[in-house]
Amino acid sequence: MADWRRHRILMVSDFFYPNFGGVESHIYYLSQCLLELGHKVVVMTHAYANRSGVRYMTGGLKVYYIPWKPFLMQNTLPTFYGTLPIIRNILIREKISLVHGHQAFSTLCHEALMHARTMGYKVVFTDHSLYGFADIGSIHMNKVLQFTLADVSQAICVSHTSKENTVLRSGLPPAKVFVIPNAVDTAMFTPAPERLKSDEIVIVVISRLVYRKGADLLVEVIPEVCRLFPQVRFIVGGDGPKRVRLEEMREKHSLQDRVEMLGAVPHARVRSVLISGHIFLNSSLTEAFCIAILEAASCGLLTVSTRVGGVPEVLPDDMVVLAEPDPVDMVRAIKKAIALLPRIDPQEMHARMKKLYDWRDVARRTEIVYDRALKCSNQNLLDRLSRYLSCGSWAGKLFCLVMIIDFLFWCLLKLLQPAADIEEVPDMVQFHHQDEEILMDDSQHQSSR
Amino acid sequence: MGDKQSGVHAKYDYIHDQESSPSPLDAHHVEVRRSGAKPVAACFFAALVSAYAFFAFYSKEKPNILAVWGIPLGALLMMKLCWRTVKKESVLIMPTFGVQLETHYRSGRIIRRFVPMGKILKPVLQECVTPVTCYWCLSLLLRDEEQLMLVFKEIRSPLKMLIPIWKALCAAADEGGGLEECGPDG
Repeated sequence: MADWRRHRILMVSDFFYPNFGGVESHIYYLSQCLLELGHKVVVMTHAYANRSGVRYMTGGLKVYYIPWKPFLMQNTLPTFYGTLPIIRNILIREKISLVHGHQAFSTLCHEALMHARTMGYKVVFTDHSLYGFADIGSIHMNKVLQFTLADVSQAICVSHTSKENTVLRSGLPPAKVFVIPNAVDTAMFTPAPERLKSDEIVIVVISRLVYRKGADLLVEVIPEVCRLFPQVRFIVGGDGPKRVRLEEMREKHSLQDRVEMLGAVPHARVRSVLISGHIFLNSSLTEAFCIAILEAASCGLLTVSTRVGGVPEVLPDDMVVLAEPDPVDMVRAIKKAIALLPRIDPQEMHARMKKLYDWRDVARRTEIVYDRALKCSNQNLLDRLSRYLSCGSWAGKLFCLVMIIDFLFWCLLKLLQPAADIEEVPDMVQFHHQDEEILMDDSQHQSSR
Repeated sequence: MGDKQSGVHAKYDYIHDQESSPSPLDAHHVEVRRSGAKPVAACFFAALVSAYAFFAFYSKEKPNILAVWGIPLGALLMMKLCWRTVKKESVLIMPTFGVQLETHYRSGRIIRRFVPMGKILKPVLQECVTPVTCYWCLSLLLRDEEQLMLVFKEIRSPLKMLIPIWKALCAAADEGGGLEECGPDG
């Protein structure tokens, strides 16, 4: 590895642009800031419709859209070993030193981390979600997470609540788990130039209309708030299976003139929707860290949110009114927020957000985690298998078998396609004082230094 | 024949023939090195199928389907291997006239494709991604065509062999007036 690039990172997740969401923006902004810090970053995800192959994004961020079709909820089909050849190929051709997987839901992330460990690479995992412990889905998911994290170099969580949750679910030593909160692109989310009139109060809701995001709570809260405050109007942005319930509620209570349903809002339009309101309402039932709250606060909106997961850690107390995920308590919180509105200065709130949440700071903190991960000692297969064995009487043996087969498959691949046959790609080097990008080999760069 | 530049690789040989005037034909060939492993494996497999077929045919039991069809299947497999195996791929650049792309098979079959110079907008070097691997490929961006045209249809030659061919195509397209500028991005 050339010393002019301190780390060469492969970010892996099933969730990336053109899809929009918290994980997607986290990977994108983190990658951009790491590139600024002089690291090489490559993203690997599955193909999205006709977006397949290699694409370059802003700042020379290289993205591999692997032509694997999504199977369920933007996830690729779990194949265990099907992704090994392509992952090995990318790791060698891009001269990667560290693999960073994102999101416990992502099949591609789990498989990439498994293969990377088999090949002796250092791996870091970031968990972006909270899970339960009781239902069947969570029990199985937690076992998968335990398998992935049994041999991870370091882990990152987006909130302290998320860290507790991950440690409990995976049995990972807490010392290995770091808390690095998300940030917001404050340049993109700026308040309205002129302060909105206060004769009408607009409450904005932007979220996927699904059970997890508390769409059922909205169905009960909106009519009650409209009854109590005649000057309140709602703007609901987002789409999902629960949209029908909201439409029914609007019809039932004749609130067509007071509840505006926008449907799916493209990310580029989120700010324009936010700045048309005074209060942002988040009704999530579970949330590790809510980026939507940050975006709203950056636009100068006072936030009313359910007190769930990592939400209480996100904003200072004077910027958010918290409520239990219960309709009565949420109505009380909205009442309190309306009373607080005259004291809110959107420009001052934006300035504070700019100081509090910065992706460059997130990147610097992530860099420390990478440094620690690379200092972890290399272990042979037998040492690693003992970690998997401790995952449970039956599961441990199964995990060991999976890893042994993975190791044998890797050995076979080394025979069929030796590393020497895989071409290393020249790096895209960006000189910030020029507007041009050039392709350059390590050797060329070292000779030019 | 003019100067012969050669590049060596584990799987491929790159030969550059530049004919001097009167016909300034610029020929680039990528030849597949004969690997001992593939033909031996194919012959071994065919022999195995044939041996089993003979054994089953002359044994006391009633001949099964494989016994009857084994020998023709083995022969067919060998023929297909010979028919599909590529010997070399060539790029013949005729300045101001066009580019001829040739695929030579071991069977003697040759597939030729001709692209007039005026139709070439830009030769591009790009990374291709399949579900199992990544490789470099050289393509032609053609006028009024949605799809890129692959210069090498069968061979996945290394980048160091593709660069001189790409440069030659850029120069030829530039002369032909089909190209404004050829930057390092291909």
